Amino acid sequence: MLSNYIYLLVISSCILVCLMLYKSVKKIGLNYFLPFLILTIIVELSGLWMIQNGINNYLLFNIFTTVEFVFYSFLFFKHYRKYKNKVLSLLFMPLYILAVTINLIYFQGIEKFHTYTFLLGAFFMAVFCCLFFYESVLPEYVEIILTKQPFFWVCTGLLLFYLGSVIINALFEYLRNFDMQIEGKKIYSSINQILNIILYSAFLISFIVCRSNKTY
Amino acid sequence: MPQQQDILITIIVASVFLVLIGIFLLLMILLFIRKQRRNQQEKEELKNRFEQTLLKTQIEIQEQTLSYISYEIHDNIGQILSLAKINNLQVNKENFESKTELIDELIGKAVTDLRGISHNLNHNNFHQIGFYESIIQLLHSIEKTGKYTTSINTIDADEIEAFVSGNDIILFRMIQEIINNIINHASANHINLSIEKKDQFIIIKIIDNGIGFDTAIIKQENQGIGLHNIYTRAKIINLDVEINSSIGAGTVVVLKMKI
Repeated sequence: MLSNYIYLLVISSCILVCLMLYKSVKKIGLNYFLPFLILTIIVELSGLWMIQNGINNYLLFNIFTTVEFVFYSFLFFKHYRKYKNKVLSLLFMPLYILAVTINLIYFQGIEKFHTYTFLLGAFFMAVFCCLFFYESVLPEYVEIILTKQPFFWVCTGLLLFYLGSVIINALFEYLRNFDMQIEGKKIYSSINQILNIILYSAFLISFIVCRSNKTY
Repeated sequence: MPQQQDILITIIVASVFLVLIGIFLLLMILLFIRKQRRNQQEKEELKNRFEQTLLKTQIEIQEQTLSYISYEIHDNIGQILSLAKINNLQVNKENFESKTELIDELIGKAVTDLRGISHNLNHNNFHQIGFYESIIQLLHSIEKTGKYTTSINTIDADEIEAFVSGNDIILFRMIQEIINNIINHASANHINLSIEKKDQFIIIKIIDNGIGFDTAIIKQENQGIGLHNIYTRAKIINLDVEINSSIGAGTVVVLKMKI
C-alpha cells in the first residue's frame, strides 16, 4: 500500500530540506542529521527489501536502533547547557552500547528484536527530553522562545515517538506470536508509521526553524 | 478472538493516550515558559521604571542645588560685587581711605558668602549627608526664609537611614515636593515633620497649619504635576500616600512604608 511508504517520503523530504538549509542547520549544530537521515533511509529501504525477500531483518534494526539512540544522545550532549546533563548523556553512549551487546549475546539473541534494551533506550530518551525541557524553564534560559529553538522540535518529535512506541515495542514478541501475527503486524506497522511521520515531521520543522533563527 | 481484539484495541488506546500525555506535557511547558517570560519582562520593566525615577530624582535635586547657587550668586554676591565696583569708580583723593575701606569690606563679605555657598554645597550633597541630615537641612533652609517655623519629631537617625535605604533619594524628593506644595499653595507658617515606626511600617507625617484644601481634587484626573509626581513615586517604591485636609484646617500628608 502507498500509505505504508508515506513515512519514507517524509524522511526523504527531511533529507532534502536539510540539504537545502545546510548552512543554517550547521550553525545550530544539527548538521549531523544529514548523514544520520541518509543512513535511516538506507536502513529502512534495506529492511523493506529484506522483508519482501523473506530475510530476517532484526539484526539490521538491532544495530540501527542502537546507533539511533547513541546519535540522539550525542545530540542531547551537544545541546544541553548544564554540565551534569552533558555528563549523563555522554555516559549513556558507551553504557548503552554495552547493554545492547550484553542483551544480544546473553539474553534476547541476535535473531530477535532487542525489546529490553530498546525500552531502556526509549526510557532514557524521554528522560533526556524532560531534562532539556527542564533546562528551558530555568530562569536563566527562559527568555529564549522555545518554539524558535530548533532542538525543541527535535525533542518534541523524540518524546512523542518514544512515548507512543513504548507499548507496541514492549509487546513486540507478544504481537509476533502465531495467534496475533496478522492483526499484530498491522497494528505494529500502523502505529510505527504514524509515529515515524510525527518524528520526521518534527525534524523537518526543526530544520526550517534553523533558517529563521540562526542563533539562540 | 474477541479477547485478542480487545488487547489490540487496548494497545492502540494506550499508545494514543501516551502520545496525548506527551502533547499535554509540551503544552504545559510552553504555557509555563510564556508566563514566566511575561513575569520576567514585567519585573524588568518595573526595575527600569525605578531606575528612571531614581535618575530623574537625582537630576531634580541637582537642578535645585544649581538654582540655589544661581540665586545666591545673582542676588547676593553679584549685588555685593556690583556695589564694590561702583565704589571703586567713585574713588578719588578726598574719599580714598573711606572708599577703599568700604570696598575691602564688601569684597570680604563676597568672599565670606562664597565660602558659605561652597560650605552649603558640600553639606547639601545628599549622598554625603544621607536622608535624615538632608531633611534637617531642608527644614533649616525653610526656616531661614523667616516665613516659616518648623519642628521635627523622629526616631533614631541611624534607624531611619536603615529603613529607607535604597529608596531614600526618592522618598526625600517626595518630602521636598510636599513641602514645595505647602510653600506654594498652603499659606502656612508652621511645618511639622514626624517620622515614627509602627508595627511593620515607617510612618512619615508632614503637617502644616495652612488653609487646607478639598481632598476631592486628588481624585480628579488633572491633578497638579506635584501631586501626580508624589503618587507616581509612591507607587514605584511601594509606599502608601494618605492626604487628610479640609478647607481652613491645614493638611496632613502621611507616607506609610513597609519595612
